[in-house]
Order: sequence, then C-alpha cells, then structure tokens
Amino acid sequence: MIPVLLGVCFIIFILFSVLSPDPTLIMLGKHASKTQMMELRAELGLDRPWFIQYFDIVRSTFTFEFGRSWSTKQEISEMIKNGAIPSLTVTLPAFILSSILSISISLVVSFYRGKMIDKATVFVCVALMSVSSLAYILYGQMFFAFQLGWFEISGYEEGFPNFVPYVLLPILIWVVLSIGPDVRFYRTIMLDEIYQDYVRTARAKGLSEKAIMFKHVLKNAMVSIITYVVIRIPFLILGSLLIESFFSIPGLGGIILNAINSSDFPVIRAMTVMSALAYILFSVLTDVLYTVVDPRVRLR
Amino acid sequence: MKLTNVIGLCLIAISVMFTSCTKTEEFKGSSLSLAVSSQVKGMDPIYANDRYSSNEVARVYEGLLEYHYLKRPYTLVPNLAESMPTVSKDGLTYTFKIKKGVMFQKDEALGETPRELIAEDFVYSIKRLADPKLQGLGWWLLDGKITGLNEWRKKYSELPEVDYSETIEGLKAIDRYTLQFQLAKPFPQFLYALAMPFTFAVAREVVEKYGKEFLNHPVGTGPFAIKDGRFKQTKKIEYLKSTSFREKKYPCEASEEFKKERLLEDCGKRLPLVDRLTVNIIEEDQPRWLNFQKGKVDYVSIPKDNFDQVIPDAKNLAPDYIEKGIQLIRSPSIDVTYTAFNHDLKLFKNVKLRRAMSLAYDINTANKLFNNNQAIPAQSVVPPGIAGHIEGYVNPYRGTGTTENIKQAKKLLAEAGYPEGKGLEEITYDCPNSTASRQIGEYFKKQMAQIGVKIKVLQNPWPELQKKITTRNIMAYGIAWGADYPDAENFLQLLYGPNRAPGANGSGYDNPELNRLYKTASIMQDSPERTALYEKMNRIAAEQVPWVYGVHRQNFVLRHSWLKNFVNSDFDAGSAQYLSIDKVKKEEMLKKL
Repeated sequence: MIPVLLGVCFIIFILFSVLSPDPTLIMLGKHASKTQMMELRAELGLDRPWFIQYFDIVRSTFTFEFGRSWSTKQEISEMIKNGAIPSLTVTLPAFILSSILSISISLVVSFYRGKMIDKATVFVCVALMSVSSLAYILYGQMFFAFQLGWFEISGYEEGFPNFVPYVLLPILIWVVLSIGPDVRFYRTIMLDEIYQDYVRTARAKGLSEKAIMFKHVLKNAMVSIITYVVIRIPFLILGSLLIESFFSIPGLGGIILNAINSSDFPVIRAMTVMSALAYILFSVLTDVLYTVVDPRVRLR
Repeated sequence: MKLTNVIGLCLIAISVMFTSCTKTEEFKGSSLSLAVSSQVKGMDPIYANDRYSSNEVARVYEGLLEYHYLKRPYTLVPNLAESMPTVSKDGLTYTFKIKKGVMFQKDEALGETPRELIAEDFVYSIKRLADPKLQGLGWWLLDGKITGLNEWRKKYSELPEVDYSETIEGLKAIDRYTLQFQLAKPFPQFLYALAMPFTFAVAREVVEKYGKEFLNHPVGTGPFAIKDGRFKQTKKIEYLKSTSFREKKYPCEASEEFKKERLLEDCGKRLPLVDRLTVNIIEEDQPRWLNFQKGKVDYVSIPKDNFDQVIPDAKNLAPDYIEKGIQLIRSPSIDVTYTAFNHDLKLFKNVKLRRAMSLAYDINTANKLFNNNQAIPAQSVVPPGIAGHIEGYVNPYRGTGTTENIKQAKKLLAEAGYPEGKGLEEITYDCPNSTASRQIGEYFKKQMAQIGVKIKVLQNPWPELQKKITTRNIMAYGIAWGADYPDAENFLQLLYGPNRAPGANGSGYDNPELNRLYKTASIMQDSPERTALYEKMNRIAAEQVPWVYGVHRQNFVLRHSWLKNFVNSDFDAGSAQYLSIDKVKKEEMLKKL
C-alpha cells in the first residue's frame, strides 16, 4: 500500500509540479505582473527545490493535511466534507437502486436466456447505452422537471429530507444510465455460471429453478459481482461531474471540475490521493469479501 | 438473512426516504432570487477578482464610492464617504470625510455594542490588500500608486510577520472620520479603485478573530447580511436584509433613458427594497433558463442557444414571452474581443501584413455567426460608452466581407512581401478550448485562406493559453477584455509598451508614439484635452492594426414583470439593494408560467 501511495505522489508531482502551467497566472488573472507572480510563487512555496515540494505531497498524503485551496482559499478537508455528502445523496441511492435492478433483471433474463424477453432486454440495454448521457440529462430536465413539473429543475437543500426532491431526477437519470452496461455485464456473468456442470447436477437432483438461480448461480456469480460493485464504491463519493453540474448539486464532482479549470493543485492533489487511498482500501475489502462468498478463498 | 429480504428492506428504506420529503417553511417578506453562472470563491474583498465573487462581496461590504445606479455615462458618487473627496491642486492628495453612524453588522467578534465604521477601517482594509502574506488579487490597482505603500509591502515580504500598526505616509486616518490618501504620482483613475470591492471596508476584529476563515464570515456595513453569519461553499447563497444598515435612500435623479422607463417610482424609499436575497449558482445554461421560465429566478441573460427562440427577428421579444409579462433589456457591454499578434515576432512587425489580415476578416459574418448579429463591430480598442471612443469612426482596415476588401487585402499582402501568401509561414492561432472559441478559430482560418494566409488553430486549456502568452511562445491568439472601470485608459493600457506580458499588454505591441501619448494622458484628470488624446491613441490603434479587432458585445437580459428597478450594468456590484419585487403581480403572473 505504501509503495503504491508513494508512486501516486510521484505521478501527482510530475503532472502538476513539473508539467502543468504556472498556477500564479491563473490566480492573478489578467493583471498578473512579473513581480507579483514571483511573490505569489514564493508564498505558495513553488520556488522551493523539487524534492521539498515532493516531500510536501508525501507528507500531506500520510497526514491528510491538504492545506487550503489556492483558488477559493477554503480548507480542503472542509471542502471534501461539505462536498461528499451531497455527492453521496445522489450516487449512493442511485448505485444501490441500479445494482439491485440490474442484478434482478440479469437473473431474470439469464433464466429466460435466448427467449424473447432476453433478446428484448439486450436490445433495450444496447439502445440505452447508445444515447449520450448529456441527452438523458437535457431531456430529463426539460420534460420531467420543466414540462411535467414532477421534479425540481435544479438546486439542493441541506439536510434530510430537504434534499430529497432535488436528488430524485438525478438518481433516476443515473439509474437509467447505469442499467444498460450493468445488465449486460451481470447477464454475461450469470450465463457463464448457468452453463457450469454444478447447475446441471442441481437440476438432476431435482432442485427448483428458483433455488438454482438464487442459491447456486447467484452465489457463485457473487465473486465477479463483488469485484465489479465494491471497486465502484470509492468513486461514488466523487459524484458525477455532469449530473452535479446540470442539477447544481454542490458535490465533489463540481469541486474537482473547478479545481482542474483553475489549476488548483492542492485540491486536485487531495482528490487524487483520496481516490487512490479509497481504491486501495476497497480493493482489500473486495478480497476480504471473496472469503465470505466463496469458502475456497482464504486470506493469508 | 436471505438475499430477497435484504433486497426488500433496501427497497423499503429507499422508498421511505423518497416519500417522506417535506416542504421548507415559506418566507413571508419580499424575496429576490438571482442566478449566477459561476462558482463564488469566498467573501473576502481582497480576493474578489471575478465579477461573481465581487458581486457577492458587495452585498455585504461597502466602499467609499459607488456608481450612481441610474446615471449614464457611469458616474461615481459617495457611498460610505460623506461627499466626493477634496483633491489637492497637484492631484496627489485626496481627503475623504466618511459618514458618521455607519454600523458594522452584528457578529460575536465585535461584541455586544454596535461597532461604528471609522476612517482607520479603510486604512486597515487597504493595508490588507497590500499585505504580501495575503497576496490580495487586487494589488495591481494600487501598485505604485500610494506613497509608501509599496515600500511597506516590500519590507514585510521579507519579514515573517506584517505590522499593521506601522504608519504609511500616503495612507492616513487624520481623525475618526477623515481619511487621506497621498499618491506617489498622479493617477486620475484612483477614484474608480475606491468603488471596487477590493478596497471595501472590513473590521479588523473580525479578520483577527476568524483568521484564515475570515473569507467565510462576512461582516460588513452593507445592505444585506449573510444568513446564519457564515458563507458555505454551496450552490445557494442566502442573505437577509441587514438590520444595522444605515438610512440609505433610493435615488431621485436619473438619466433620461431611465426616467422614461419610470425607474424613479421608488425615489426616496429606504434601501434595500427586498427582505431576502437568494443567489443560486447554476453553471449550465439550460437549468438557469428553465428556472427563469418557471419564475424561480427573477432575471436571466439569454443563453446563446435560445436566442433565436426568444428574439426571432433579432429585435423584438417573441409574443409568447410578452404574454407572460417578460421584458427584454439590452445594453452594450464595455468590452472588446480581438485576435492579437505577437509583436515580438519579426513577421508581425510588418504593418501591411497585419492590415491585410484585418481586411480579410469579415466581421459582419462573424457577428452573425457568433453574436446573433447583435454585437457592435469594433473599429478600434476603446468601446462605445466611454470617453475616447470615436462615434461614427470607421477603421479603413476593417474587413466587412466585400470583394473590394479582399482585393485590397491581397494587394497589401503582396506589398508586405507575400504575394498570395507565398513565402509566408503557417500562422498558429491559439484559443481557449471552448466550442465557441474553436468555431471562431476555424472561422478566422477560413477568412485568412481567402488571401492565401495559412492558419493552424490550436485549442488550449486557459492556463496553458496564459502560459503561452506570458512566455511569448505564441503567434496569434483570440481573447477578450472587459472593463475594470469605465475609462479608456483601462483599454489603451493593453497596447502600452511597458505593460508587455505578463502585464496587460499580452501582444507586446510597442509603438513609441502611442506610448508617449499614453504616458501623458494617464496622469491627466478627466478633461476635453485628455479625451482628445484618448481619441488620437484610438485612431493610431485602429490604423496600425496591432490586433484584428472583433466586436463590442451586447448584454441581453430578460426580466419578469414583478421585478422592479432592474438596470443592466457592467459595474453591478451592490445593485441588488435597488431591486424590488411586486408580490401581488408575482403571484398573478406565476399562474401563467
């Protein structure tokens, strides 16, 4: 884990301290002068030797002291805390819903594999995937929120249940966006299992199709499902750039976008470190969960 | 627990979460709702270097001066100053009397007793702007202007801590209500600086109590106070009418154009005219536009993609909007768009080449394509509405798409040494990476191809483009400039040689005659003589074609009929206090939306 984090720090350093343009130009805007740029570089510590700047990145990675945003001057840990909750209010319910729906649909279509319902579902999934995510957002907002008035057009209120009316449409759009690829993925996993010998054995023993699907097929497919599902969890916290932007949700997606646009290196660094850390932790969690669903797997 | 039960429980939990939503309590007073298209950085005046942040700062904080809300051309009037300053004969000493009895908003940092604004608060606030440790983004405004301020800044940039108690020769509180500035050299635009949020008054106790978190705890003397006393980094900022706001009245004088629009009906009423102000940060055009149409936002700029739908004949509002009581307000923006050449390159020192390229660029078609034919083709650098702009002047090298233009351009190109573009290297055109910028770049390429000039369009993220300009690693680039204050000097400085990049003169244009005139005019007070110099420079800038000029853009704003006193302005910091809402009309009109 530590070598991976050190590697991440090195990549961040190369990308943002060596290759990226001078952030003082962005911060000072159209009135930047040579003297002020130099003063600001000194104030931000950008004039220090490269190894000290690299060490700073490493230190903040392990201490979680990310400092303040260069652009907004806000405490980064506070920004993450404030942004993570709105992001999660959209992505978490959407993720749970889409996962449950996709797994359920996959179970049904794999049960009826090759039949009309299976073909129709695959067709719908491909059709859903063929439409751009922007189109779902634009038409969803225009039709369901503006014309029919079923949802709020955009906005966000803090606290439960105030935020609920504002997140319904974004959740719905997220679910529609996810269902296509998810169903196709889960269906493939289920079909791989359905043609296994143990399924034939179960049938020969006279087990019901329901028992075969839920007790055997689903359980054996869980290793792949867990890998796919758990590894996506850390990214939920980062929200969705497009959905948050169109629905004015004050989540981390928007914070990342603004940080990139303004070369706000400390924010980008914090987000990258947090994502890398979460990715590593959830990868470990995935391995632990394998032992739960598959008794043959043991942790050493 | 069985999997089916788990799934069932999850579904129930989610459905309960969705169905248990309740409505928030309705606000009883009059409420103004605005939409802005960009993130607000924070509420510290010294960092308010973009329009969105400075507008938010100006709702809570105030400065010595402000622009008269209902007068055009833009006119400075006293705000926290009792009257306009007395200026010494040499134009170097400005003495202000500040209003008595102006109170800061309540905050625990100020204790229980109301805290009065005093002259020392301005001394402190301006020192903060100059503080090298804080790196305020408005320092350029005062850099080299106030006697002793640069020395003070330099001294403390080398020391670990800044001493605010040290007296600065050119910045003094003579007594509790008298403030004096001593300028290092004549700077007639100094008064504009005092109407900009960078120089607005903050209370030292509040800054010291909150430290780095001061930007989230705005406590000013202004018409609105932030709700709950704290700025949160969300997409909605709520303000309430400040209970400690002094007795400031709606103006009773106006320019003729505003009198005709009956904008004096609220004359003498106490400001602000609304009880609550909500600022919604909606970055995308569509949701901002839909929220306006639903009546959730009181006014909005027309998104480019909806322009034809809203103003089908490019003049009048479509009938269905008129039926809903929506009104169109158009006003020129004090700005200029242009394609700059890098004058460090020998290639662009050739004036005939620059003129040929300018003539080949059809501005009329560009205006139709990119500005719905509503912008004003720029003839030179100074935009209409400010002294120095020459009304009716036509730049002889301004291309308008005629065959004569192309013929003349080809002739000039040949005279420049590149007949039909032969021998001329490919010119790179750098632009920001938005779709519109790319389209403008492609259009430029097509126009230049008519005379044989080859262009390669390169898109860059904004920081990259800035870097290329600063490091002079660029040939030509498309950009725009908006006014910081309504003075031609703010535009002419873009062509002043000593201002070369990383200063405002990104193209590095250096014309000794123009430099000489600029140096003379920049220290002159507003006068017919100064205007004559500005006009002379404007003509030189037109005929020497340091840039291929683009347009001066126009603002198109729609407002609902219930919103009163709305005036579109390029300097709209503090304008929300003049707006009012007709609640009865709003209820009635909302039924039609």
